[in-house]
Amino acid sequence: MTLASLNLQPVLPEIVLAAMACLILLVDPFLPKRGPTVSFVLSILTLIALFVITLVQMDDSVRMSFGDMVVNDPMADLMKLVVYVLVAAVFVISRTYLRQRGIDKGEYYMLGLFGVLGMMITISSNHLLLLYLGLELMSLALYAMTAFKRDDGRASEAAMKYFVLGALASGILLYGMSLLYGVTGNLMLTAIAETVAAGEDSMALKAAVVLIVVGAVFKMGIAPFHMWLPDVYEGAPTAVTLYLAAAPKVAALALVMRLLVDGMGPLFYDWQPMLIVVAMLSMAIGNVVAIAQTSFKRMLTYSTIGHVGFILLGVLAGTNEGYAAALFYTIAYAVMTIGGFGIILLLARQGFEAESMDDLKGLNDRSPVMAFVFLLLMFSMAGIPFTFGFWAKLAVLQSIVGVGLWWLATFAVVTAVIGAFYYLRAVKMVYFDKPEDTSPIQADVNVRGVLILSGASMLIFGLYPTGLTALTAGAFGL
Amino acid sequence: MNAIELLAAVVLLPFLAAPLAAWSARFNRYAAAWVAGGVTLLALAIFSWLVVLHIGQMPVATSHAWIEAAGLSFGFRLDGLSLLFTGLILVIGLLIVIYARYYLSPNDSMGRFFAYMMMFMGAMLGVVLSENMINLVIFWELTSLASFLLISYWQHRKEARYGARLALAITGAGGLALLGGVLILGHIVGSYELTDVLASGDLIKNHELYAPALILILLGVFTKSAQFPFHFWLPNAMAAPTPVSAYLHSATMVKAGIFLLARFFPALAGTELWVIIVSTAGLITFLLGAYTALFRHDLKGLLAYSTISHLGLITLLFGFGTPLAAVAGIFHIINHATFKASLFMVAGIVDHETGTRDMRRLGGLVKYMPHTAALGMIAAMAMAGVPLFNGFLSKEMFFTESVRVAGDIGPVWLLPILVSLGGLLSVAYSLRFVHDTFFGKPDGDLPKKPHEPPGMMKRPVDLLVVLCLAVGILPALVVGPLLHIAVTGVLQAEPPYYSLSLWHGFNLPLLMSAIALIGGLLLYLNRAPIFRWHARSLAHLDARTVYNRLMELLMRTGAGVTGGLDNGRLSRIVVLTLVFSLIAGLVGYVQTVGLPGVQAALDRGTVEDSGDWVTWLGMLLIIIATLVTVIGHRQRLFALITMSVVGLGVAMIFARFSAPDLAMTQLSVEVVTMILLLLALFYLPQQSRRLSSPSRRWRDAGIATVIGGGIAALTYAIISRPFETISGYFLEHSVPGGGGTNVVNVILVDFRGYDTFGEITVLALAALGIFAMLHNLSLPSSRRDPFGRAWSDDPHPLMLRTFAQIILPLTLLFGIYVFLRGHNEPGGGFIAGLIVASALVAQYMAFGIENTERKLHLPIHGVIGAGILIALGTGLVAMVVGVPFLTSNTWHFTLSLLGEIHLASAIGFDLGVFLVVVGSTMLILLNLGRLTDHAIEHPDYASIEASPADSATRGGRDA
Repeated sequence: MTLASLNLQPVLPEIVLAAMACLILLVDPFLPKRGPTVSFVLSILTLIALFVITLVQMDDSVRMSFGDMVVNDPMADLMKLVVYVLVAAVFVISRTYLRQRGIDKGEYYMLGLFGVLGMMITISSNHLLLLYLGLELMSLALYAMTAFKRDDGRASEAAMKYFVLGALASGILLYGMSLLYGVTGNLMLTAIAETVAAGEDSMALKAAVVLIVVGAVFKMGIAPFHMWLPDVYEGAPTAVTLYLAAAPKVAALALVMRLLVDGMGPLFYDWQPMLIVVAMLSMAIGNVVAIAQTSFKRMLTYSTIGHVGFILLGVLAGTNEGYAAALFYTIAYAVMTIGGFGIILLLARQGFEAESMDDLKGLNDRSPVMAFVFLLLMFSMAGIPFTFGFWAKLAVLQSIVGVGLWWLATFAVVTAVIGAFYYLRAVKMVYFDKPEDTSPIQADVNVRGVLILSGASMLIFGLYPTGLTALTAGAFGL
Repeated sequence: MNAIELLAAVVLLPFLAAPLAAWSARFNRYAAAWVAGGVTLLALAIFSWLVVLHIGQMPVATSHAWIEAAGLSFGFRLDGLSLLFTGLILVIGLLIVIYARYYLSPNDSMGRFFAYMMMFMGAMLGVVLSENMINLVIFWELTSLASFLLISYWQHRKEARYGARLALAITGAGGLALLGGVLILGHIVGSYELTDVLASGDLIKNHELYAPALILILLGVFTKSAQFPFHFWLPNAMAAPTPVSAYLHSATMVKAGIFLLARFFPALAGTELWVIIVSTAGLITFLLGAYTALFRHDLKGLLAYSTISHLGLITLLFGFGTPLAAVAGIFHIINHATFKASLFMVAGIVDHETGTRDMRRLGGLVKYMPHTAALGMIAAMAMAGVPLFNGFLSKEMFFTESVRVAGDIGPVWLLPILVSLGGLLSVAYSLRFVHDTFFGKPDGDLPKKPHEPPGMMKRPVDLLVVLCLAVGILPALVVGPLLHIAVTGVLQAEPPYYSLSLWHGFNLPLLMSAIALIGGLLLYLNRAPIFRWHARSLAHLDARTVYNRLMELLMRTGAGVTGGLDNGRLSRIVVLTLVFSLIAGLVGYVQTVGLPGVQAALDRGTVEDSGDWVTWLGMLLIIIATLVTVIGHRQRLFALITMSVVGLGVAMIFARFSAPDLAMTQLSVEVVTMILLLLALFYLPQQSRRLSSPSRRWRDAGIATVIGGGIAALTYAIISRPFETISGYFLEHSVPGGGGTNVVNVILVDFRGYDTFGEITVLALAALGIFAMLHNLSLPSSRRDPFGRAWSDDPHPLMLRTFAQIILPLTLLFGIYVFLRGHNEPGGGFIAGLIVASALVAQYMAFGIENTERKLHLPIHGVIGAGILIALGTGLVAMVVGVPFLTSNTWHFTLSLLGEIHLASAIGFDLGVFLVVVGSTMLILLNLGRLTDHAIEHPDYASIEASPADSATRGGRDA
């Protein structure tokens, strides 16, 4: 096999990113110790460059490369674009927080970029091993980032748990993959789908489905495999939590889509019931448990669990409308999450982590603009009309009603109602309660800017979701 | 401009006015009111013009695609029903704006108030004028939101915040339920346009999803219109300023639910389910509201419960499901809006001028504000259903319908008696409203000296009260046409015959009215004992407690699940993850093959080469060793040694199944890992405590057994399948392609040379990483072992030293031998590397690290680097010759003494592997070993820990 036959052009973004991440890795130690400004700027520039490259390459066709191991379809392109934007936003919003805690190091950006590389590989893979490779590359970066504040016991514990459980899930996933390979004799997802469609109803295949679903939903953070999430999100430095909670969910959706839909699409009726059960559990547990939290960070974590349950609804609808809805929801979720955890960064300052619900009290008195941004974010998470989150919920619900799962839609709506309760409670605290801490908000323009953008997008996409709907629909050929 | 653009203008104008009002208030606080009033007037004018243009051709409906993927279009619809509601919203809205302009005190922010008010008006207009159902739901939720903002307008009051949150929670939740219902409805019909939905009544009612759709939609309706059991938010919403209560919570927003009942009347009404649910809820609400209203001491509380009661009445009418009942319902909507809005405004005036709304303190106001008193009395009489006032007419129609359908719902006498009772109660509370406020004597001094309000505050009430009278006296003339159009809009068909005349002769409904009037009067006159009885027995009952309990339950469940599932213990998480996977797997398995299939699966297939007794013995040994480890693992050293038996056993199995390379690798890896673990063990207590209870251990053992068994079964199922082996290819190509007969080694250094090159690089990096972490790090270690015994004072015993010296050359030689034969016989760079490394490590152990380093001068980093460079170089040589990277070549030549020599270029590559393995292993083990040295030499540590007795014991380590 020669280089030319690999058709490297479609993987140009991945190559550029890998090269740049290595470059930053090399350059960073030789820079003056004042702070990793160079690494930061380089990282942002890299992400911008990737955005441009992917945008230029993007069209409706499906481009295969690396001997068909890598696939660049419209879904992959869109997901990658979203990942770039999310990660860039996270980098920008995190700087001050990291600096104040003495962990503003080049490694953060470098690990972040390697994580992006992992996500991109996951998103684009058409091959079991490549998929696993991407997933692990991403996960390893995430483990390391979680432990980034090394002298913090809580963060170390979180990283340890994350690593052990992540390894367990990877093991389960890998085992499922090996069974799949054993049965089909193929590693290419598209080829597996063909074999499975033609093949007999094998028991080993069922086992493979079960293990792969377990592994995949674990990575997504779906109940009952969600239990690592609260500890990790709470334990990690908030800047890292922000990273963990946003972009990797896009990759996790890609993982589910590639494995279940692309690879095991013909086994739809085997994995759909499992997804229904876990999605219901996720929505119920996420939303009910969130109510009991006194830590805002933990509340958001449980709300994440609820949201991914919703995302899964779109996948289990099994239609292109459903997949598009799931993607739309994921994007909405990721933007909301950046805003939500961003609020913690806004309120935090040197030596103070604003993680408790009580820290939200009276935000309106301290900064009306930020309070309004917060209101928009919470309304969007609750799914109140004319916000981004409403369209996301609507699209997902429509897709499952469209396949006759109206009872599931009803269940989802009930959990959403329960969910609305704690979002509104947070809004109430911001607007109606007296602040316990009246000091002015110190956050700088980076944090404010990203937050305002995130809040504004709740409104912009809330009033005019058509553009994004068209994009997500287009990603699935609708 | 066509009708749709005008309709859009009507809906959007208030939304535009909202920010404008807020902004204009910065210049002049009354400017906000002017903006709001002006815009409402403008909208009203546009709407009137529109109605005049299109009165003959209703319904007018058009849509523009907005978000096609969601089935959403932006469309408006004008028919009789929306005309009626739009009229109500705009006219009463205008009056309320005028009223509020005078009502709000100088401390209140006018801009905020009118901005919210306009937002609400726009949303409400959107609800009644929407053509698309999803649009409707969106506007519906916006009204809940606006209501939330308006109730909490006085944010500093606790009850305002509580009421606002309660209202939003209930109505917002209902809105989401409605969304669910609408989605199902749209799914049934295949369109979200009302025109299509209203035309598909039969399709919907016969569809299997009718029941869920109906129930979800009714949840939306009941929450919004404060129907039992969701009625309790409305009284709490009375914390809002009175204009808001008058507008939202009596005239318009709470009617949105009723509007929806009317709107979906052709599509959903008439089935048994509809009649049962809607009329039951309506009847209970009607009676409960009327009863509770009587006992409220707060004017607005009384009006709130009376509103609930009247909403129940209208719901009951729609629940009957007959066209005539719908006529009565629509008529009562109009009447109720007029008299209840006036009553609220009167209550607001009283509050405004006296400073209290408590009927126990108020009294005799007729002397101070006769005009207001007159207005209040007329409106109250309309509410009570006194003849010649508008309430009488619709109440008569209501009684007539009740009598007509009575036979269908329970015993024939039940419904007339119950509704008469409701009427009686409403007469009583109307009387109380008038009498306790305007007559009798005030109880003590009022907070303010009462007097008539500013004239403009009364004008809106004047107008409404005149309407009450006009409708009551000349119904056919005043309200006839409007009613006709509205009913046509509801039924989507020509309405049935109904009479609007005042006098229908002596009949049962008239008798019921009379009973209600006289009974109500009697009840009020004898109120004292009844009030006492109520206060004693029923006053503490409050539907809010159910809500509060529910919230508490939810909180507790949340906390419970947190405690149960997410207590942060890693083991718990692992157990749950595994158990859930197991359940999923079992369910899937049993579903697929059924229970008989399980047996069949077990019977099927055998592994061909099942081995002999030696093999089985080896396997047995492994299993026993593992079990022993599990059971007796408290002593860590023994556990480690037992575990190493497992490793050796695995090596034996490899050897048995013709994989000598693997066996050798396993053997050497086992040795190196053992050293590594022993080094780590030094820092750990010798024994580990039992951390879990026996029951837990049994449970964990059970789970582990089941999961292990499952995985074993799966593995067995997979390996017993027929498969195509790839080993043939490698066996065939090993000699011609790689020049070696040891296939494993050829694969490593040739076929998969790229991989191996990557792997050794990673190995080198890992070693360097560990070096970077451990370099200059020191860990304190215990001076004594766990039994309190001091360590041996001779760390490098003579026996060990002697043996190490003898062993070194032998092992090195053996390593080289293994390395050289590697390409053709079992062996190779990796195994040789491990052998040599362990030999060298033995030297370090025997003589001490510093000592050995002085003697050996082994540049470990250099070894690793050299290894990688040699491997790379071998690959590059191939490229220089003109073949791809890492392609190997072989040479044969004869040397004297040694005989024929066969050399493959891959041996260079293997040398690289060898060096990297040696270097990495040494680097890792030495640095781990050095940790202790640092610890010993650390002066602080020694001064803290060492006691005089044993300070000398390990000091002379390198001596």
